[in-house]
Amino acid sequence: MLKNYLFIVFCIMSLSMSAQTIDISGTVIDGGSQIPLPDANVQVEGTEKGASTDFDGVFTLTGVPSDGTLVVSYLGFVTQKIPIDGKTTFEVVLQPDTEALEDVVVIGYGQSSKRNISGSVSKVGAADIKKLDPINAAQSLQGTAAGVNVTPQGGSPGAEANIRIRGVATNGDASPLIILDGFQYDGGLNSINPQDIENITVLKDAQAAIYGTIASNGVILVTTKSGKRNQSAKFEYQTYYGFQETTRELPLLNATEYALLLNESYANSGQTSPIQNLSGLGRGTDWQDEIFEVAPIMNHNLSIRGGSEKTSYSFSGSLLDQDGIVGGDKSSFVRKTASLSIDTDLNDKLNFKTKLFYTNQESKGLNTFGLGSVLFNAINMAPTIGAGVDNLDGEIDLGNEVVNPITQIRNTYNESVNNRLSGTVQATYDYADNLNIQARLGFNRNGTEFREFIPVFNYGPGKVFNRLEDNLVNQNKIINNDYTFDLFNTYSNTFEDIHDVTFLLGMTVYKSFGEGLFGSRTGVPSNSFDFADIGTATGAGENNTAGSYAYDVRRLSYFGRLEYTLDDKYLFSAMLRRDSSTRFGPNNRVGYFPSITSGWIISDENFFPQSDNIDFLKLRASYGIMGNDRIGDFLYLSLLTGQATYANGEDGLVNGIAQGPIPNPNAQWEEAVKTDFGLDLRLFNNKVNFTFDYYRNDTDKLLISNIPVSGIFGSSAPGASSPTINAGKVRNQGLEFELNYSDNITDDFSFGAGFNIATIQNEVLSIRGADFVEGGAFGVGQPLPSRMEVGQPIGYFYGLRTDGIFQSQAEVDAHPSQAGLGATAQPGDIRYVDSNGDGVINADDRVKVGNPIPDFTFGFNLSLNYKNFDMNTYVFGNLGNDIVRNYERDQPNVNQLGYRLDRWTGPGTSSTVPRATTSATANKVFSDFFVEDGSFARIQTIALGYTFEENLLQKIGLKQLRIYGKIDNVYTFTDYTGYDPTASSGAPIGSGIDFGFYPLPRTYIVGLNANF
Amino acid sequence: MKNILTLIIAFFILSSCSDDFVEVTPPFAVNDETFFQGEEDYVNALIASYDILQSTYVNVMTSEIASDNVNAGGESPTDVIGWQQIDQMAHTPINQQLRDVWNYNFAGVQRAGFIIQNQDRADFEGKTQIIAEARLLRAYFNFQLVKFFGGIPIKPQGQFQLGEELTIPRSSVEDVYAYIEDDLLFAVENMDMASQDPYRFNRLAAHALLGKVYLYEEKFTEAAEQLSQVIDSGAFHLYGTQGEEDYEDLFEFIAENGPESVLEIQYTGVQGAGFDCLQCSEGNVMVGFSGVRGYNGPVFESGFGFVLPTEEMYNAFTPNDLRRDVSILDIEAWAAETGASFNVGNQDSETGHTGYYNRKYIPRINDNQPDVNLTQPNNYRAIRYADVLLMAAEALNRGGLDDELALDYVNQVRNRAGLSDVQANGSQLLDIIYNERKLELVGEGHRFFDLVRTGRASQSIEGFSTDKHEVFPIPLEEIQFSQGRWEQNQGY
Repeated sequence: MLKNYLFIVFCIMSLSMSAQTIDISGTVIDGGSQIPLPDANVQVEGTEKGASTDFDGVFTLTGVPSDGTLVVSYLGFVTQKIPIDGKTTFEVVLQPDTEALEDVVVIGYGQSSKRNISGSVSKVGAADIKKLDPINAAQSLQGTAAGVNVTPQGGSPGAEANIRIRGVATNGDASPLIILDGFQYDGGLNSINPQDIENITVLKDAQAAIYGTIASNGVILVTTKSGKRNQSAKFEYQTYYGFQETTRELPLLNATEYALLLNESYANSGQTSPIQNLSGLGRGTDWQDEIFEVAPIMNHNLSIRGGSEKTSYSFSGSLLDQDGIVGGDKSSFVRKTASLSIDTDLNDKLNFKTKLFYTNQESKGLNTFGLGSVLFNAINMAPTIGAGVDNLDGEIDLGNEVVNPITQIRNTYNESVNNRLSGTVQATYDYADNLNIQARLGFNRNGTEFREFIPVFNYGPGKVFNRLEDNLVNQNKIINNDYTFDLFNTYSNTFEDIHDVTFLLGMTVYKSFGEGLFGSRTGVPSNSFDFADIGTATGAGENNTAGSYAYDVRRLSYFGRLEYTLDDKYLFSAMLRRDSSTRFGPNNRVGYFPSITSGWIISDENFFPQSDNIDFLKLRASYGIMGNDRIGDFLYLSLLTGQATYANGEDGLVNGIAQGPIPNPNAQWEEAVKTDFGLDLRLFNNKVNFTFDYYRNDTDKLLISNIPVSGIFGSSAPGASSPTINAGKVRNQGLEFELNYSDNITDDFSFGAGFNIATIQNEVLSIRGADFVEGGAFGVGQPLPSRMEVGQPIGYFYGLRTDGIFQSQAEVDAHPSQAGLGATAQPGDIRYVDSNGDGVINADDRVKVGNPIPDFTFGFNLSLNYKNFDMNTYVFGNLGNDIVRNYERDQPNVNQLGYRLDRWTGPGTSSTVPRATTSATANKVFSDFFVEDGSFARIQTIALGYTFEENLLQKIGLKQLRIYGKIDNVYTFTDYTGYDPTASSGAPIGSGIDFGFYPLPRTYIVGLNANF
Repeated sequence: MKNILTLIIAFFILSSCSDDFVEVTPPFAVNDETFFQGEEDYVNALIASYDILQSTYVNVMTSEIASDNVNAGGESPTDVIGWQQIDQMAHTPINQQLRDVWNYNFAGVQRAGFIIQNQDRADFEGKTQIIAEARLLRAYFNFQLVKFFGGIPIKPQGQFQLGEELTIPRSSVEDVYAYIEDDLLFAVENMDMASQDPYRFNRLAAHALLGKVYLYEEKFTEAAEQLSQVIDSGAFHLYGTQGEEDYEDLFEFIAENGPESVLEIQYTGVQGAGFDCLQCSEGNVMVGFSGVRGYNGPVFESGFGFVLPTEEMYNAFTPNDLRRDVSILDIEAWAAETGASFNVGNQDSETGHTGYYNRKYIPRINDNQPDVNLTQPNNYRAIRYADVLLMAAEALNRGGLDDELALDYVNQVRNRAGLSDVQANGSQLLDIIYNERKLELVGEGHRFFDLVRTGRASQSIEGFSTDKHEVFPIPLEEIQFSQGRWEQNQGY
């Protein structure tokens, strides 16, 4: 082999000797930044003659053949070939190879190329992130990566988002693993400065199996920006200012409409209405107008990146300040971030790299969720009450929960401060040819301080928010720490030109530990937040309480991966990971997670028809087993948290200690078997990119908490409960399509568009030991509305089916009795379907009335560039999911939604909205009356930018300047009547229930990006 | 180079045997492996076992309703359907109240078993007393279970572990009794005569329970021997026969933990409770459930109107028997006398309103916490001295041991009720003993099992099928959990 090479080299050398030789020199320049490129490689084609450029980008070569060809290359730039043609000086401008950079795909403990990867991977690059310019980095995955569903937890400032990859396959924590520059990051994407992010890669199938027992929800790999070698400092400043407003106010009744409807409902029950005089009521108070406001948002970001021959560096700092559209300064989010990255070659073989991230977040929040939230009060508050009435004594009775939302906002005092320091330190040693070893320590330290003050206040008689005797201060301090230590060895080589082999062997040690301390005390002096501190307050005995917790979770993992490529066409990789974890019971301490992925670049085959239209076609298949270890700690241990209280015979109590939930020594990870078949296709000179995947994820050993077990184990004892057992199986399957098109129509005009759509079909395959598991909440005191049940999608809605409105007593009499629902039906009441046909309507007639999981999720984006103008828009949506309307308080005097005006008032007046009455009815029982189609399409972003001419900028010392205007959450196409169809509570059983969702704001901003 | 490779290899080898890195215990939390460090832990675990005694309400109500003494009552003929079915001997393996009996008593067995299983973890003075009390409690719960269900799964060495529902079969009734005897013999040998705390049992309580267990096994000599330990101790007397005591106060708060309380279960109303966990209540759920519906008047509080004594029961007392008006409240007469008002719930002729209430255990006016129907503080006298005397009399008579002494015990009970001495022996005396048991212990949950163990159930209880209703069915769910390994009782 070696002999052959030597022979060829010798032949070439001897050939070149015969031509005329000259001396040449030149400079190599970065076509992007227009600065010289040191260390670029200049080679005479077909010879061993070559040189590297010096720090000024200059090279010299002697004795080169005058008819030869120069090959100039540098990592990350498009290689150029230049005929020498007897010239002696050259100026070579290398253009950055954006495609090459974009082509790199991180896959965990290594990287691959988009071409050669055989798993299902989506990547959102810097370009997309820059165009979307999101406040929360999670938004950059919304509608841009097929099969990735992002639902914000609300529109309040700083709210996190729930990310679900290829559906929900657990009733525990379904969020994906986030890996930031190689280490496990539990801070949520919102704590990362979006402008620091280079790209986000999503591993959707068995490709993620290298992460073993933490991979089954999918893996999101975030890579942050680094400096470039041999580049002078590059400054980048970005800023935007803007304001936010609500996208929607619900149609509610005004004071006169409200009073009329109230009088009718009382009259229908033979009672006297509390409002007798309607004159002068007018429109009354519009509570939504009172609480919604226009709120500012502002962001600054400065970064400096660059590098020398051996070292690159990056520094950035950012500030985001966002107020809420409800509550003004009582609701805000301020995020400050700083990051530092250094990458240096200590010598030829040893590289050292570190990245540090600091995030400081300060937030203030209102009660934004469910019964008792500010919006809930605004919806249900009577419009006849003046906005300034703080104490509802003497006003119409609205039940114990509804209070004046303005008063509520004023009496809300809290602040949460979160400080996070995360980072990674890494050394890579090339200790032999084709071999290197990396050691890496990643860490997170996150401290949260929370303080809340509840003043003495009387909202009115019997209100649950009242504090009549004493005010209260609550304080928490929580410290979370973790570290990830990785040690892995990579061997990479090519044999006989066609066998590419990369072999990885490594281990990871992970430890997460921390504690929380919380206390509360009454007696804050002066009833003022200024003195709200446990130390200052004076409460004693039961008015001065404290609690705490601590945890220690560890994982030890070994892993290996073999990647083999034959002839650059046949792709194969196999992975195996062994995990042991503190979370697993002693009988299942160790888990093994194997997977294989394979691919075939069929377009490189000789038999493949050579066509100008098809540039690339790859078929992929993968299969693997992954785990989910976020199952709760120490399920296998019997913790003594039970209740052990007995009477001591003298009218007092005596307290002992008892066992809590029954332990399950067999507790283990949830296990997902993932299968994926896909193809990647590029057409028409790579202008069209098409990706298709079919996936099937079967999650087995799903943990079900509190599953019924035999009474002999004592689960009925006070404070005890049934164990958590691996007993369920759920299947998610579907199809994903991604289509991208980009083209330069003319020199001045380029155009790009992308579309993706994914289907999800979720089905519970089995539950061992229980018929169903319930969750969610509807109304007050009603059965739980969401279920996990065999043959149905997880968390489907379970309630009565309606069949219009009874128009007459004859219809009521002809129908099975509805008395079993709590009230005998009358004309104008909802008619329910006797689903089980037993001649009576009761809770046994409940059936599936909805599914919170969308059938389709899709995204669309469009970008246009004309001369110096750029325009981008992003659209995303869901089709086929249902939402439960659960923000109407079931109380006779609360305000009503506008649809109530179309109520039944006599035969033929309505077949959808029941009569108004204060009497007991079965109309509020959970049924499809409260289930709405949640399908939507949202224009998330429209942005328009202008980039100034460079020659104009040079005069003021700028290299690049772009100004832009952007609208986020522009418009939502939907039939859903609530605030926001993206509502989600996140819990797998109980998602899709709208408790008065805080709507996402519409945001208008103007901003600029400047490089200098 | 070589050094580094060696280092790497060494690291991998070292770390490969360190799975104990993940062997940690929850920081600062108490778990069963770190518990039982000393006396305090054992006492705390013992309190947890006593706690389950408070769920005894379901045993008492269920067995009383099963007897010929009372109707189920309640709001309607379907209110607590499990009890309504039992009242009519129409119960099936699907019955929430029977499932409660199973679950609660096994919870007690598990909590006591927790101590017994870990008895060797620490040593301190007085440990044997605690172990003995735990075994007494375990015997109490197992005795309930064997009375209700016959043979049950047992594990004398300690707690059942998940999976053992598939490996531990139902033991025979004889084996369960042997197990109970074993626990109680340990208790009587190792417990002090004095209780360690007012709420805890003493050795005499163990003697009484063991005597009762022997009586159920028809081991009359042993029963008489154990019960005479209680009687001869002189620690107890019939309430109302000494000092300022008034028999009418026997079931009032004043007589709680008094001279007649051999084995008494403690309740209090100082802590609230809810329907989602009846067994968590520190109050006596039976009392609120037995109260007069919608009652408004003196002395008593309202309740849910279960456990209604029948007219036959009321008439079984002679009018001069003081026990009649202490045991049974004639609501019509009471209302006429005091002007109290009340509602009638279930009016079904088989299971409904009778006009009579179980006066021993209906709510008295007090300031208990909400839900007030669940937190009534009335203690339950699980074994009263009068019961001990009658059990001893029965053992002496049926064992052919000493009819004269038996007669003396019966007459003590009769005299306290204002009745004169009787003279009898042999089977005639036995009939008197049986009748006195019915009258003395009505409303206390003993009648059904007395009838069953003496073979008189089928002639007394309407709908009772011999060879079926002597025991209740194993809950269907339990049969399913055991995957059919626990066979259903005969006839169900």
